[in-house]
Amino acid sequence: MAVDALLQPVVLFFLLGALAALARSDLAIPEAVAKGISLYLMMSIGLRGGGEVAESGFTHDMLLAGGAGLALSFLLPLPAFWLLRTLGKLDRTNAAAVAAHYGSVSVVTFATGSEILRQAGMAPAGFMVGVLAVMETPAIISGLLLARTAGKDSLAPRGGLLHETFLNGSVILLLGSFLIGLIDGKEGLKAVAPMFDVPFRGMLCIFLLDMGLIAARRLMDRRALTLRTVLLALALPVMNGSFGVVLGTALGLDPGSAAALGILAGSASYIAVPAVMRLALPAADPGLYLGMSLAVTFPFNLTLGIAFYGWLAALLAS
Amino acid sequence: MTETIHRRRIEVLADEPLIPAIVALAAEAGIVHYTLLPTAGGAGAHGRWRDDQLSGATAKVMLLAITSQDHAAAFIDRLAPLLESHHLLLMCSDVEVVRGRKFD
Repeated sequence: MAVDALLQPVVLFFLLGALAALARSDLAIPEAVAKGISLYLMMSIGLRGGGEVAESGFTHDMLLAGGAGLALSFLLPLPAFWLLRTLGKLDRTNAAAVAAHYGSVSVVTFATGSEILRQAGMAPAGFMVGVLAVMETPAIISGLLLARTAGKDSLAPRGGLLHETFLNGSVILLLGSFLIGLIDGKEGLKAVAPMFDVPFRGMLCIFLLDMGLIAARRLMDRRALTLRTVLLALALPVMNGSFGVVLGTALGLDPGSAAALGILAGSASYIAVPAVMRLALPAADPGLYLGMSLAVTFPFNLTLGIAFYGWLAALLAS
Repeated sequence: MTETIHRRRIEVLADEPLIPAIVALAAEAGIVHYTLLPTAGGAGAHGRWRDDQLSGATAKVMLLAITSQDHAAAFIDRLAPLLESHHLLLMCSDVEVVRGRKFD
């Protein structure tokens, strides 16, 4: 599965983008196009997940997975914070900001992982999209509690922080699209399938080409990263992802859904959380948390992590 | 000859997520007219940065306002304590404008 995962067009386009950036090519995807595709991907993921849940109905597994996702997002920042403080030698504010990123999730890692699992015959259940949306924000609250200084030296009013945390665009779009998919069901969604289903993988390829460019360029500007933080950015996804897979399997989820829970737990946010942290913890270094999550953890998960979580889920299931 | 009036030009370079709060701070100081300008990228004390609409966390926006001496001073007093912690750049200069009443 590891080799198959690496040879998927989505992963190869990511590597192409990374290589182009490392070679200092002028290749660029217009920012507005990348932003548009990221919105498209969230709508497509939400609709497809909602459509599948409409077909399968609400199940016991769905509740369990949702509860596990919620707990993981709240609790994963705690060991991450401790490791970042002790091994990473980060101050309290930076450790809390980074820990919040590792409790939250990456939509694109989930989308790519779902495609790779689907190709391997381990398609995750549709309700995992709901788990994805549930896991976006609790980690932000944990991170702010760990920092203890949220808002004290910040420009952000408390109301603004809560608004940004719970009503950020990606959560609204994911949950909203999921609900629309749930209301319309698979039959109802057939009318929009030529837009939101068929081109999905191609759009993901374009987006990942851009992500490769962004990740590699951020790695080249790695002023804030040290060997310790890079190693932690590699260890945290393995630790969190393995825990997610083990928890999913223990709860009785099918191997594909357990692997997807591992992918969610092992991924780190680089869209929703950085914007909130920049507002709430301005003393935290964005070069550090974006460098770790986007330039190290995201490429690791895409090339090796997803395959590892899939392999572990299949191993535990057998 | 067209009459011109002296006013203060305020420019603040800040990360995009901070802009709404800075606009609110400006309003508290009496500055309610302003323009937001996107930026393509640059390099500063904290390294290089580029326009990044993906997370928007480090995309920088320039707030530009022309205002009276009193409003400018009130805004600078409010923003100055946050310059270091929030990685902000604040620039002020004297300008001459036509139709000075538009920039009180």
